[in-house]
Amino acid sequence: MSEANFPILSIIILLPLLGGVVTGIVRDTNTAKKIALSFACFELLLTVIAVKLFDPSIAGFQLTEKLSWISLLNVEYLVGVDGISILFLPLSALLTIIAMLSSWNSVTHSTRFHFALLLALQSATAGVFTALDMVLFFLYWELTLPPFFFLIGLWGIGSQRRGAAMKYTLFMLAGGVALLLAIIILSANHAIQIDGRIPQDLAFSLPILLETPLPHDLQTLVFLLLLFGFAVKAPLVPFHTWLPTAAMEGPAHIAALLTGLKLGVYGILRFALPLAPVAAVEFSWILSVFGAVTLIYGGLIALQQTNLRGLLAYASVSHVGMVMVAIASLSMQGIQGAIFQLLNFALIASSLMLISGFIHHRLGSTEAIHLGGMASVMPRLAFFYFLFALASFGVPGTSGFPAELLMIIGALTSHAGLGAAALAGAILGAAYMLSFTRRAFFGPVIHTAVNNMHDLQTRELALLFAPALLILIFGFFPDTILNINKVASEAWLLRLTTYAP
Amino acid sequence: MDFLAVFIPLFPLLAALFIGIGHLFDRMSGDAGERIISNIAVLAISFSCFIALILLGADLLGMNSGSFSIGQWLGSDTFKIEVTFITTGYNTVLSALFSVLLLIVIRFSVNYMHRETGFRRFFFNLSLFASAMLLLVSSGNIVTTFIGWEIAGLCSYLLISYAYDRPIATINATRVFVTNRIGDAGFILGIGLSYFYAGTINWDALNALAGELTIPTATVIALCFATAAFAKSAQLPFTPWLARAMEGPTPSSAVFYGAVMIHAGMFLIIMLQPIFERAPLAMDALVIVGFATAVYSFTVGLTQTDVKSSYCFAISGQLGLMFLECGLGYWELAAYHLCAHAIIRCYQVLTAPSLMHNVVGNPIKTVSRDIINLRWLYIASIQRFWLDPIADRTLVRPIQGLGQDLSHFDIYVIDRLMGTPASPSRAISSLAQLEQKILSTSQSDFNINQFGHGSGIAGKFFEWTAKILGWFEERLVLQGIGMDIIDIGNKLGHAANTFERLLLKPRYLVLFVFIVLLIAATR
Repeated sequence: MSEANFPILSIIILLPLLGGVVTGIVRDTNTAKKIALSFACFELLLTVIAVKLFDPSIAGFQLTEKLSWISLLNVEYLVGVDGISILFLPLSALLTIIAMLSSWNSVTHSTRFHFALLLALQSATAGVFTALDMVLFFLYWELTLPPFFFLIGLWGIGSQRRGAAMKYTLFMLAGGVALLLAIIILSANHAIQIDGRIPQDLAFSLPILLETPLPHDLQTLVFLLLLFGFAVKAPLVPFHTWLPTAAMEGPAHIAALLTGLKLGVYGILRFALPLAPVAAVEFSWILSVFGAVTLIYGGLIALQQTNLRGLLAYASVSHVGMVMVAIASLSMQGIQGAIFQLLNFALIASSLMLISGFIHHRLGSTEAIHLGGMASVMPRLAFFYFLFALASFGVPGTSGFPAELLMIIGALTSHAGLGAAALAGAILGAAYMLSFTRRAFFGPVIHTAVNNMHDLQTRELALLFAPALLILIFGFFPDTILNINKVASEAWLLRLTTYAP
Repeated sequence: MDFLAVFIPLFPLLAALFIGIGHLFDRMSGDAGERIISNIAVLAISFSCFIALILLGADLLGMNSGSFSIGQWLGSDTFKIEVTFITTGYNTVLSALFSVLLLIVIRFSVNYMHRETGFRRFFFNLSLFASAMLLLVSSGNIVTTFIGWEIAGLCSYLLISYAYDRPIATINATRVFVTNRIGDAGFILGIGLSYFYAGTINWDALNALAGELTIPTATVIALCFATAAFAKSAQLPFTPWLARAMEGPTPSSAVFYGAVMIHAGMFLIIMLQPIFERAPLAMDALVIVGFATAVYSFTVGLTQTDVKSSYCFAISGQLGLMFLECGLGYWELAAYHLCAHAIIRCYQVLTAPSLMHNVVGNPIKTVSRDIINLRWLYIASIQRFWLDPIADRTLVRPIQGLGQDLSHFDIYVIDRLMGTPASPSRAISSLAQLEQKILSTSQSDFNINQFGHGSGIAGKFFEWTAKILGWFEERLVLQGIGMDIIDIGNKLGHAANTFERLLLKPRYLVLFVFIVLLIAATR
C-alpha cells in the first residue's frame, strides 16, 4: 500500500456531494443545472488525474488515505484503488455527465432535486469503488439506494414506477443483510484468530482481513453470503427480476446507470473471491453454473422481447452471466476480459439504454410495434444504435470484441463446456440484437408518428459521441486497458491459485 | 519489401473511415459528392492493388523474408496477439488477385450505382470490405484473420440489407448473419483450442507444431475450423444462406459471393493444410461435405429459372469441388481452382444483368432423359431439398419456443417467487378509503389482517410471520391479558390511593419518620 500525498480520492468522493448540496440550495433551476454539470465535469477531470497518478506496475492498493473513524470498533476511513478498480472512477464520472446531459430537458419537475441526487449517486458510487474498509464500503453500498429509489420513483416513465422503486430497494436491502452478516463474521474471526477480545480487536479493513486466515467452514459461509449479497445487485438469475422492471418503469438515464454500473460484479471480484479464496476455488463451479444459466436464460428471453428497454435489460442480464463465467474460469484471460467487459458496460449498455430513452422521448414508446423504418427518418440515431449494438455482441473493431474474446478463451481453457455456453451466448447476442434492429429500424415506415420524428440534436449527438469514440479506441488498442489491470489481475489470480486444492 | 504488406489493408480502411465520417455529418451529397467518394474509394483500392502487385513481384524475386510484424495488439498472460502479415507464398498471390478483383468491382460500381440513394453507404461498405478481406488473406495470426473474417461478414450483412425498407431483404440479412455466426463460433472455438493445446495462435507456429499434436487434438481443431469454413463458403448444411444473400446490388453480389468472400472458407482450409493432414477424420469430413454440396448444388441448380440463383448454386457447387479436392489431398489443385473460379465468377456475376442480351435466341439445353423422369428429384430440387424449412423446424423454432417458455417462466414463476411490492394503485392510502372498503364488503368476511400483502418467497414468509404475530397480539395480548390488565391497574390504583391517604394522616407520618430515623441510627 502506498499512501497518497494529496487526498485525491476523498475529494473525488466528497466533491459531488458538495455539488449536490449547492445544486439543492441554488434557487434558479437553470443555474442549478449548470452548476451540477460543472461539478460533474470537474469530477471527471479529477478522476482522470487520479488515473494519471496511478502507477499500474504496483500490485497493491495505491493513493490510500487512512483516518480513524469509529475507534471503538476499529472502523477506519480507508480508501484506495488498485488496477482493478481505478478505471471505474472516470467511467462512472463520465456516465454521470452523460446521464445529466440526456435528462437536461426531459426532467421537468423538481429539477434541482433530480440533479442533486445524480451528484449524490456519483459520490456514493465513487465511494463503493474506492472504499477499502468493509464498514465504509457497506455504508456507500447502502447509500446508493436512496438516490436510486427517488430517481426511479419520482421521474420514472412507466405507470408502475413507485412499485419499481420499491421493488429495487427491497431487493437491494435483502442483499445488504447478507453482506452485513458476512462482514461481521469476517471481523469477529479476526479478533478470534489473534486471541483478542471483541470490540477492541475487531478489524474491518480489507488489507488486514485479506491477511487473516479464515477457517474452512467459515470460508464457505462467508463466500456464499457475499455471493448472495452481490448476486442480487449483479444481477444473476433468479435474482434479476428487479432489473427489467426498473428498466421498463424508470427513466432511461437511470436505467442506463443501472445497466452501466455493475457494482454487484465488482463486489464479487473485489470481496467475495479474495476474502474466501479456498471456498471460492472450491465453489467456483457454482459461480460458473449460475453464470452460464444466466447467460443462456437472459439471451433466450431477450430474443422474445418486443420492447427495446426490456430487451436491453435482459441483454444486460445475459452479459453479466458471461462475465461470471469468465471470472469463475480463474484464468488470466478470463479475469482481464471480465474487467474489460465491466468497463465496456458503462459505455455500451448505458448508451443503448440512453438511445432507447431518446426514442421514448420522441415517440412515447419503445415497443417494436410502434416503431419500424426509423433508419430512414433518423439516420444518425440509427448509426449510433447500430454501432453500440455491434459492440454489445462483440464485433471486431469495437471494444466488445477483445473483451469477449478474452472471456471466451478464459472459459475455454478452464472448462470446454462453459466456453461452449459462452459461444452460444455470443450467437444469441447477434440474433436478438439484429432481429430487434430489423423490426425497429428497418422496413417501411408504417406510423406517421415515426415519420415526424426529429433526428438527434447537437446535445444528444455530443453525449453519444464520447462513448462511441471510446469503444472504437479501446477496440483498436485494447492493451491500453489491459496494461492498467495486468499487475493487479496477476496478484488477484495468484491469491486464488495459491489456495487451489 | 515486407513492410509494404501493412499498407494493403490500410488504404481501403482509411477510405472507409473518410466516407463514413462524411456520411455521418451529411457531407458530400449530390453529384459532386458522388465524384469525391468514388474517387477516394477507387484511389485507395488502386494503391492497395499496386502495392499488392509489387509485393507479389518482390516475393517472386525472393526479396521477402516471410513475415512482418507491427507490434502487439492485445496481450494477456501468454495469450499474445501480434499484428503480423505474411509476405510470401499463396497469401501474396491471393492478396494481389483479390485486390485486382476488388478494384475492378469498385470501378464498375461507380457507374452502376450512379445516383442511387445509398451511394455513400455502398462505397463505405465496399471499402471496409476490401480492407477486411485483404487483412484476412495477408494476416499471420489467427485472431487478426478472424477480425477480417467477421468484418467481411458484417459488410455482407449491411449490403444484403442495402434496400433496408424492404422487409424481405432485412430478414434475409439477419438470417445470413446469424447463420454465419454459427461458423464464427466454430472459428473462436478453434482459436481457443489451438491456444490451449498448441500454445500459439500464429499460423506459422501452429502449422509447425502440427506434427506434435495428437491425432484426436488435431482432429478437433481441424473440425472447428472446418465448421467455420463450411459456413462461410456455403457448404452443406449452411448452403441456403447463399441464395438469401443475393438480395444486394449486383456488384456487391459479384465481389462477395462470386469472387472474394465466399472463398474465405476455402482459404482457411488451405492455410491449415498441415493440421488437416494430421487428422484423417477431418479430411473425410471435407470429402463428404464437399461431395454432398457439389451434388446438391448441381441438382438444385438444374431447376433454377433466374440468373442469380443459377450462379449461386454453381458457386456453392464449385466450392464443394474444392473442398473435395482438399479432402482427397490435391491441395495445389484446390489452390489453383480457387483463383480460377474467383476470376471467372467475378466476370459472370458482374455481367449477369446484361446476360439476356448475349443469350437471347439461344435454345435452352434440356437435361438428359434419365433425370427428367425422376419426378421426386424434380420436386426436391425445386424445393431445394427443404433445407430452410428443416433448419426452421429443428433449430429456429425450438429456440424461439424455448425463449417464449422461459419468458413465461420468468414472468409467472421467477418474478412471483421473488415477489413484487404491492402496486400503489391497489393500496389503500387513507383511512376513509379503508372505511369505505369495510362498509362495501360485509362486515363478517372482511378480515382486517388483509391489509398487508406479501408476494414472492420472502414476501409470503413475512406475511405469514406477521399473521402469526398479529393473531398472537390479538388473542393473547389484547383479548387474553388486555382486559385483566385494566382490572389489575384499577385495583393497583385504588391500593396506591389508599396507601397515600393513610400516609397523609399525622400519626402514620410521625411513625414513618421514626422508623426512618431508627434505621439510620442502626447504621
